[in-house]
Amino acid sequence: MPVAAEKIIYGAQDVAGAFRERTFDLLGRSSEFTKITLLLASQLLGLWALNVAGDWLVGVLHVPVPGNLVGLVALYALLSLGIVKVSWFDPLGSWLIKHLAFFFIPITVGLMDAAGFLLSHVVAIAVALVASAAVGLLLAGFISQVLAGKMARAGDNP
Amino acid sequence: MSPVLTVAAGAFGISLTAGAYALSLRARRYYASPFTTPVLFSTVIVIAVLLAAGVSFEDYGPAKRAITAVLGPATVALALPLYKNRQAFFQNLVPAGCGLIAGSLGTMIVAALIARAFGLAPDVGSSIAIKSATVPIAVEIAKLIQANPALTAIFVVVTGMIGAAFGPWLLDRARITNPLSRGLALGTISHGQGTAQAATENEFAGAVAGVAMGLGAICTSLAAPHLIPLLVW
Repeated sequence: MPVAAEKIIYGAQDVAGAFRERTFDLLGRSSEFTKITLLLASQLLGLWALNVAGDWLVGVLHVPVPGNLVGLVALYALLSLGIVKVSWFDPLGSWLIKHLAFFFIPITVGLMDAAGFLLSHVVAIAVALVASAAVGLLLAGFISQVLAGKMARAGDNP
Repeated sequence: MSPVLTVAAGAFGISLTAGAYALSLRARRYYASPFTTPVLFSTVIVIAVLLAAGVSFEDYGPAKRAITAVLGPATVALALPLYKNRQAFFQNLVPAGCGLIAGSLGTMIVAALIARAFGLAPDVGSSIAIKSATVPIAVEIAKLIQANPALTAIFVVVTGMIGAAFGPWLLDRARITNPLSRGLALGTISHGQGTAQAATENEFAGAVAGVAMGLGAICTSLAAPHLIPLLVW
């Protein structure tokens, strides 16, 4: 076989090989992508189902508690009883908690419709809301920190 | 609104909100202050863009419904860090309980007394007093104590924003460093928004805040019908 033809054949094989590798790589990555998407979707579905169950329970029992809190307690109970595992919810759950603030933005944007009333009593409302929030934050934070510190010290020297 | 318009309005609103949120995360990295906390900073940007573009809050509705639909499942997920840190949480059940009761009663009393000192109408004063309970519970309490449910919802949202923006700063000044105490204070006073803020600081603080939000609201709903008639009239 002439050297030139040999070179062409080997060259073509190299290209084909590289192409095949690339394709497999891409296929591998896309199946990975599908797997992750399905995993996240099933985790969201699980959390959503618990939330719906919480809403339903609150409606049936007529208790003044938000449904998502009941869902939280239900998930905690299922984890404690060993019926579900943290790993079933985890990559998505941690991501949602990290970006929890994002999901509240549309609610506060609703303030644009209430601007008129708020501005008509702005000083009284601002003072009442800011001062009472500060007092509550300091009371809750300070009392719990001092008591927790006392208990930790009592635990150190029995 | 036609379905096509609804989808378009939703896509616009979601992109705008996500963009504002991404910008707030970047702003906080360069300059951390109460004014660059995600909820406050992003809300200001979104409202400014909506006003500049002549879009009403009603037209922002599709995006609002899509985004807040994930709020419930995200709150349920707070059970995960709570479970992972269950020992630290149950060891401090008594300090947390005392802080929670003091915080929710203290903020209610101070708010009602200041509203009365400024001569606000009794239904406005009662609405201000119960603002630390999360919206679904606060609206129920409002009906029990002859407060105004719509006003109550506004005060709840503003309180959430005040606490999430300035709470961490105030707790720093007061040297309250324990993640349990920081989460407890933010969740008790600023409910969901405080919980979201606590979760950005520390996963455990976020979980404690989530529980404090629920227990604080229950505490407020039990105390308000007895306490508020004494403070506001």
